[in-house]
Amino acid sequence: MKISRRDFIKVSIAGAASTVLVGCQPNQRYVELEPYVVPPEEAVAGQATWYATTCGMTPAGNGIIVRVMNGRAVKIEGNPEHPLNRGKLDALGQAGLQLLYHPDRLHGPVVQETPGRREFKPLHWNEAVNILAENVKRAGAGLAIWAGLTTSGHLVDLFKRFAKATDAPAPVFYDLYAALHSYDALASACGGALPTYDIRRADLVFAFGDFLGSGPNPVYYGVQFGAFRGQALGKRGYLAQFEPRMSITGAVADRWVPVKPGHEALAAGAMARIIAEEGFGGAERAARAGELAPEVDVAAVAEACDLEAEALVKLARAFAEAANPVAIPGGAPAGADNGVEATKAVQILNAIAGVGPLAPGVIPPGITPTTPSTFAEAQALIEKMQNGEVQTLLVYGANPVYELPEAAGFRQALNKVETVVSFSPIIDETAAWAHMVLPERTYLEGWGYRVVTANTGRTIISSRQPVVVPFYQDEATGPAYSTGDVLLTIARGIPDAIAALPWTDEVAYLKQMVGALPAGAYGGSDPDTRWARYLQHGGWWPAEDAEPAASIMELAPVKVKAAASQGEANEYPLYLHVYTPVMLGDGRGASLPWLQGSPDPMTTMTWRSWVEINPQTAHNMGIKDGDILKVTSPYGSIEAPAYVYPAIRPDTVAIPAGQGHLDSGRYAKNRGANVIDLLGATTDATGENLAWSNVRVKVERTGETINLPIFEDKKGAQEHLHF
Amino acid sequence: MSEQDASGKRRWTMIVDLDKCSGCGACVVACHAENNVPIAAEDQVVADRSQHWMRIERYWEGEYPDVKARFVPVLCQHCGEAPCEPVCPVYATYHDERGGLNAMIYARCVGTRYCANNCPYRVRFFNYFDPVFAEPLNNQLNPDVTVRSAGVMEKCTFCVQRIRRAEHTAKVEGRTLADGEVLPACVQACPTGALMFGDRYDAASAVAKLLEHNGRAVRLLETLGTDPSIYYLKGGTSHVD
Amino acid sequence: MSIETERNPWMSAPPESEDEQEQVEHLRKDHLLLDPVGMEAMNQDALGSMTRHGRWTWMLIVVLGGLAMMAGVGWLVQLFVGLGFTGLNRTIFWGMYIINLVYFIGIGHAGTFISAAFRVMGFETRRPIARAAETVTLFALAAAGLFPIIHLGRPWKVYWMIPIPNQRQLWPNFQSALEWDAMAIMTYVVGSVLFIYIGLLPDLAMARERTGVNWRRRLYSALSLGWRGTDRQWALHESVSTIFAYVIIPVMFSVHTIVSWDFAMTIQPGWHSTIFGPFFIVGALYSGVAAVLVAMGFLRRFLKLGYFIREEHFDVMAKFLLIMSFAWIYFYFGEFLVTWYGNLPPEMTILDLLLYGEAAPLWWLMIFCNVVVPVGLLWMRRVRRNPGILFVIAVFIQVGMYLERYLIVGVMLGRPELPFNYSWYYPGLEIPIAIGAFSFVIFFYFIFTVFVPIISTWEVGEGQFLHGLRKIGRKITKFKSDMH
Repeated sequence: MKISRRDFIKVSIAGAASTVLVGCQPNQRYVELEPYVVPPEEAVAGQATWYATTCGMTPAGNGIIVRVMNGRAVKIEGNPEHPLNRGKLDALGQAGLQLLYHPDRLHGPVVQETPGRREFKPLHWNEAVNILAENVKRAGAGLAIWAGLTTSGHLVDLFKRFAKATDAPAPVFYDLYAALHSYDALASACGGALPTYDIRRADLVFAFGDFLGSGPNPVYYGVQFGAFRGQALGKRGYLAQFEPRMSITGAVADRWVPVKPGHEALAAGAMARIIAEEGFGGAERAARAGELAPEVDVAAVAEACDLEAEALVKLARAFAEAANPVAIPGGAPAGADNGVEATKAVQILNAIAGVGPLAPGVIPPGITPTTPSTFAEAQALIEKMQNGEVQTLLVYGANPVYELPEAAGFRQALNKVETVVSFSPIIDETAAWAHMVLPERTYLEGWGYRVVTANTGRTIISSRQPVVVPFYQDEATGPAYSTGDVLLTIARGIPDAIAALPWTDEVAYLKQMVGALPAGAYGGSDPDTRWARYLQHGGWWPAEDAEPAASIMELAPVKVKAAASQGEANEYPLYLHVYTPVMLGDGRGASLPWLQGSPDPMTTMTWRSWVEINPQTAHNMGIKDGDILKVTSPYGSIEAPAYVYPAIRPDTVAIPAGQGHLDSGRYAKNRGANVIDLLGATTDATGENLAWSNVRVKVERTGETINLPIFEDKKGAQEHLHF
Repeated sequence: MSEQDASGKRRWTMIVDLDKCSGCGACVVACHAENNVPIAAEDQVVADRSQHWMRIERYWEGEYPDVKARFVPVLCQHCGEAPCEPVCPVYATYHDERGGLNAMIYARCVGTRYCANNCPYRVRFFNYFDPVFAEPLNNQLNPDVTVRSAGVMEKCTFCVQRIRRAEHTAKVEGRTLADGEVLPACVQACPTGALMFGDRYDAASAVAKLLEHNGRAVRLLETLGTDPSIYYLKGGTSHVD
Repeated sequence: MSIETERNPWMSAPPESEDEQEQVEHLRKDHLLLDPVGMEAMNQDALGSMTRHGRWTWMLIVVLGGLAMMAGVGWLVQLFVGLGFTGLNRTIFWGMYIINLVYFIGIGHAGTFISAAFRVMGFETRRPIARAAETVTLFALAAAGLFPIIHLGRPWKVYWMIPIPNQRQLWPNFQSALEWDAMAIMTYVVGSVLFIYIGLLPDLAMARERTGVNWRRRLYSALSLGWRGTDRQWALHESVSTIFAYVIIPVMFSVHTIVSWDFAMTIQPGWHSTIFGPFFIVGALYSGVAAVLVAMGFLRRFLKLGYFIREEHFDVMAKFLLIMSFAWIYFYFGEFLVTWYGNLPPEMTILDLLLYGEAAPLWWLMIFCNVVVPVGLLWMRRVRRNPGILFVIAVFIQVGMYLERYLIVGVMLGRPELPFNYSWYYPGLEIPIAIGAFSFVIFFYFIFTVFVPIISTWEVGEGQFLHGLRKIGRKITKFKSDMH
């Protein structure tokens, strides 16, 4: 275009005139001076958009809604329509926002020459996918997939199809969350499904593990607990908690029963026997107890459990005479060497009362739940890796280098694998040992669904959709691939796989599967409407049933023994109680400052690991708050400061999991100690499940002392609060 | 301001059912997320400068084995006779007559910290440093809420931005605010439903009904005459043994 | 000292016998006002003190100046990053900055009291020490005035506390005790500075007349505001001084009362007490008089002002100190007795903390400094007339009174109503800033003595004119003229 001088002058004059004209308009168009008497919070600016999706911080599958303003996700809340969590959410789930905006997230794929050196070089997405495709093709049946329990159902299906098509071993779904909540033992004791109970109308609950702060479904049970404590006509449920270390469930329980570790099931068995012998709770219950509870010497059991026989009788009577009693298994007993038996012993109490866990829902065709593998299956894969049978290992949504005990040999086995590929969005411990990292979008940017883990009597499919555009779309690395698309792209290059994975992208896959769902709570006559409503409401579930169906368990009498300990009592005098803390969970909360910095409810500790020890034991050993202790088990040792904890058995020390990361971002790195280092890779009596709760330890002072990062004043918290 | 606004005074009230509170900390994180409350680093926690508008106080009673832990969630009590209000020399903290809120204008605060000393509940927090939100964590910030700089006090606002937004929506839709339409972030998150929120002056509201003839309702440090807006329902008991 | 003896015009007759001579000499040695050496000699002695700073004194001044600068740097850091380097926390929001404020305001009470109240009551002892005491007030108030600002989270907004109409639509809240405090401190600072200045005028003119034509002369000419010593000027001076003296006394009482109300108006356990007003005033005078004793010791020793500041002055001040000590003990005991008898749990928590708890070492040290040392020693005449021992006692009282404020602010705040939030105060940056503040006060005190005669010669001269010896029978007695 040619501009003459005349044109230029014309344009200039027009421009100047318009500037002047605009400038002459009344000044309120530009600024309004707000005096300092109106806080900005009073002004409502902008409209938010809410998107329904599914929490990816825990495997529970809680429905969430995310508040998005100006393209930024700013708040996560529970989805009020979601039948599992009913608008409520735990600390972990709400902090997921910080995963999305984590400062140490990878911007694109990276490779490293030598695993473990953490010298990563960026790579273009296309190049990375090509390299991965090459490797996968070359590996053929030597492909292995290890995924965590938060993995979306569609990826579970794609992984399985891929493995099947390439004759590779079945993918393993195993992570620390599953391990420390004994998913495997609980499921095998309860007919393959994780037992979930309806306690809303129960008048008495016996719990053998924490179910409000951790466990498979803390939010679900939280909602239930609220109803349990506030029933119609002022009725209030009574909760007794059997555990060696008071969890938050123990704190809200009406009665905390500090059973000797490994003996919880014995106490349950003894109570069942007492019901039979004393004929508590009517003839029917007593008769059922007689059938199911084998003979035990109640006095001896009580002594072994470190309880008074009288207390056991009272509790047994209360259970038998309650109208709707429930016993909730889980916790440490399920993680002992007799975890399956122990769980069954607790279930016998339920059977006596005539209650069963809620029935699992029927999974519609095309939908894949994320079913955890057993520890034995995970071990089998590690063995394959050690034998050099695995050329390419894909690790998705799990962090086995951090999560598995040293004795499981995963770290060593990685050396035998030609190519290790991680899909972690942040360099975690496993990614540090990977050859290549293809960072998956966080769950707030990705597609998918989760079939909720809890068996609430009906199927709940919780949808996942991107609430914001992928945060990192760097020019240098090209448009980001989701892992689903990576798989589908790779499949196109492998003749065997292309038939099994024929979709163009993961959304096409999801649309097909969701479109085929039967009519659910939100209806819809055609697949597109169903798809839209599925995304809008946060998933698919059948229209509300009047009452969730309970399943009746077929149980045989169980004769339980006390759990055998790992470690000799004379060398390792204390029981180790490992638990997942409320804030950090199994460690995936450790990378998020909101969770690191929010006080643990029981100890008010932040930012650290700690060792909980009974005041009497501490006094005898000369241990004070903040003394760095060396805790040694037969498998290893860690150091962490002591926290003198009034509600723990004198023969037990408790250490929370979740800290001790070597990677996983700046907030998690080099913070505290990893309690998993104290565990072995021993399986329980069935040979299937990890026995993690029956390890013994010894404790020594190192001589160092630190100031504990606690929120409370320890002396003040012992004082009486005057209301 | 329209007449509609001026007419109906409210008294926003929270009920904390101590019998239901499991101490799970969901409210604490919800508050951090909603109100841009900075997280104290470890050395600042050691220096006792944790900043949690909503905190769960855990008290021990008794000794092992008859030991009991009690959770008491404590947040700004939004006192009707707030001790923090008259002591501020620059009116940075003031009483919002529309909703009975104890409100705070960060921009006016000069940082005498007198309000915090005079708060018997110690629910006011001071920004000793500028808050740090490492890039790109600043994306998580709620645009409705000011990020407070070093040198000013801050405290729970009962999520006033949510209240105003709901009032605004109701006004635009030409209706009055419905009971349960406004929930502060902590109440929204609380899994067990231990926290409830509503307008006590509205006799039909759930909180007003619950408080009527409720023998369990107490207020924290009520003898000080602060007239708090937060009611605690004392833990119930049921004896089976 | 080459001061010629000059006959007092009011002295009736020269001593007649050796015995009389002895009596006269004894009285003159004891009492400054009976020991006139002539106006000119006295003026020269007082002016000479401005140049009598030895090498060690100057080195001390340099060190003190350096420490004050250090505090300035510390404050700069605080201005830029916030109050994070202090030891304050989420329970204890007031710390050493407020303690310093209270402490220095307290110190500042003595000057005014000695100068104004003694003047009004006609205590002649005040004459040579009034200026020294007023100067303590001046610089203590300067330091005290800084601390509320240092204490603020956003000190650059401090003018928001001043009622000036503005576009921000801000107006200070006159319900706030801090606002009263700001007003009271400002009034007191302005009033005290004027009061000191008025007393200084004749001496500035005197200095002007006796200095060669150099910068000093120009300085004194400007500062003396054309004082010529005319009758009219003296008459005006007399009435203004008297009016000021009467006005400043209630202001002084109100200031520390209002400072105490900063605490007493709150509902913090340990603070909410009606006794705080008078209790703080007594405490302020107690520490202030002790501070003046420290200053007197310094002046007598380093500036060789032995002629003006005599044992009789130490004796009187020490007696006053003893009285204040008893008064302080009375109030302190009264407060604790009421608390203990009332037996309210939050108050008892604090009592336990002080008597047997974590704060017990501090509390008992305070009792030692404030009760045991002064009450145990000051009843002895020998001690009262020994400037060295008095200096040590006065320093003990400074420590004790600082600890008393420390316990009230830094320790009691750590015991709020909800026990979960108990806390303990470990000061950080406050310590260098406090050291700097003490250095600042002493530094400027010394610098002041370089520029201004620290003895009010006109007052001493006036006193000497009014006093004399008279022989009644065989005894020589002193008398005061009623010609005033």
